[in-house]
Amino acid sequence: MSRSDVLVDADWVEAHNGDPGIVLVEVDEDTSAYDKGHIRGAVKIDWKKDLQDPVRRDFIDRAGFEALLSELGISNDDTVILYGGNNNWFAAYAYWYFKLYGHHNVKLLDGGRKKWELESRELVTDVPHRARTSYQAHEQDTSIRAFRDEVVSAIGSRNLIDVRSPDEFAGRLLAPAHLPQEQAQRGGHVPTAKNVPWSKAAEDDGTFKSDDALRTLYGGAGVDFGIDTIAYCRIGERSAHTWFVVHELLGQPNVKNYDGSWTEYGSLVGVPIEVGDGS
Amino acid sequence: MTPATGGDSQATAAGCGASVRGVVIKDAGSQAIVQGRVTKDGAPVPVGYARLLNSGGDFVAEVPLDEDGGFRFFAAPGEWTVRVLAPGGIKTDCGVAAAIGEIRELEVTV
Repeated sequence: MSRSDVLVDADWVEAHNGDPGIVLVEVDEDTSAYDKGHIRGAVKIDWKKDLQDPVRRDFIDRAGFEALLSELGISNDDTVILYGGNNNWFAAYAYWYFKLYGHHNVKLLDGGRKKWELESRELVTDVPHRARTSYQAHEQDTSIRAFRDEVVSAIGSRNLIDVRSPDEFAGRLLAPAHLPQEQAQRGGHVPTAKNVPWSKAAEDDGTFKSDDALRTLYGGAGVDFGIDTIAYCRIGERSAHTWFVVHELLGQPNVKNYDGSWTEYGSLVGVPIEVGDGS
Repeated sequence: MTPATGGDSQATAAGCGASVRGVVIKDAGSQAIVQGRVTKDGAPVPVGYARLLNSGGDFVAEVPLDEDGGFRFFAAPGEWTVRVLAPGGIKTDCGVAAAIGEIRELEVTV
């Protein structure tokens, strides 16, 4: 797999926006960003309202994903270009989510919304109307999704990559610093996890670093690509960014995203937790 | 860069005329808040980003500027750098010290 299979840049989007079979989708934490302006023709996914079950703590099911994509006017053979704020955290989360339900033609806009804005490219407020489709999803591909018991059993035997900031890893902060810090869970990290913040994989403008720089980054942090890997963060969106880097850009097999992440793990009774900056 | 440590209005580096008020307010509660506003030629900068870096220079958080050029972080006590990115290749760093129960206010000019 090469970068061009999974990434496009802003010039490509400007050249191909509107081509048949290309659908732009903005995915944000703050969905008012889309309403204030988005790339022409892009539709919106609200990562919380559209992708999470409204009652249980889990994803919408297969039928729910089919209904969502049908409503958005996305067909099974469309190429979906995802982008968003927060350095593509939620766009990467949606990318992983699309793969989970078996949509293979999906790519990220490198740099996401931020780079687009910093380059003063066009944003519009017109909301496109796309004709409804009959989207067919697959069963979840759990080879890319980790659950809590698997994380506990991976301690000391698989790569655990904690992609939160060093302060969250150490237990000094419980959430990213743009969010309030009052949370129910304990602070710290899964024992034996290596702290490789997602941000070290990206440049200031949100684009991904080169493959060589990325391999040096993970290798230098003690990640052994000879064994399987689980990435986690607080709610699974930043670790989707790292899952994208390790699985899609670097082509490592057997990489899972633990979407329960620290909000689940740090609330479990009886599991081991390590605090401090780690070794 | 000199961290802003509170007290009266205190100039730091060029581009970071930080008027820092160590204001204790009920709303800050147990939070250590760093917030501020970005202006250019006296007008708010509504398109841009503020990143919070820790004392080691590592990324901790980032928010888009609001319509008034404003930003807010919930940090921990200690020394931080706020980096502002804006169109035209603008990149400005400001040092600030955060403390529990206080709001540190920065005025960033780019």
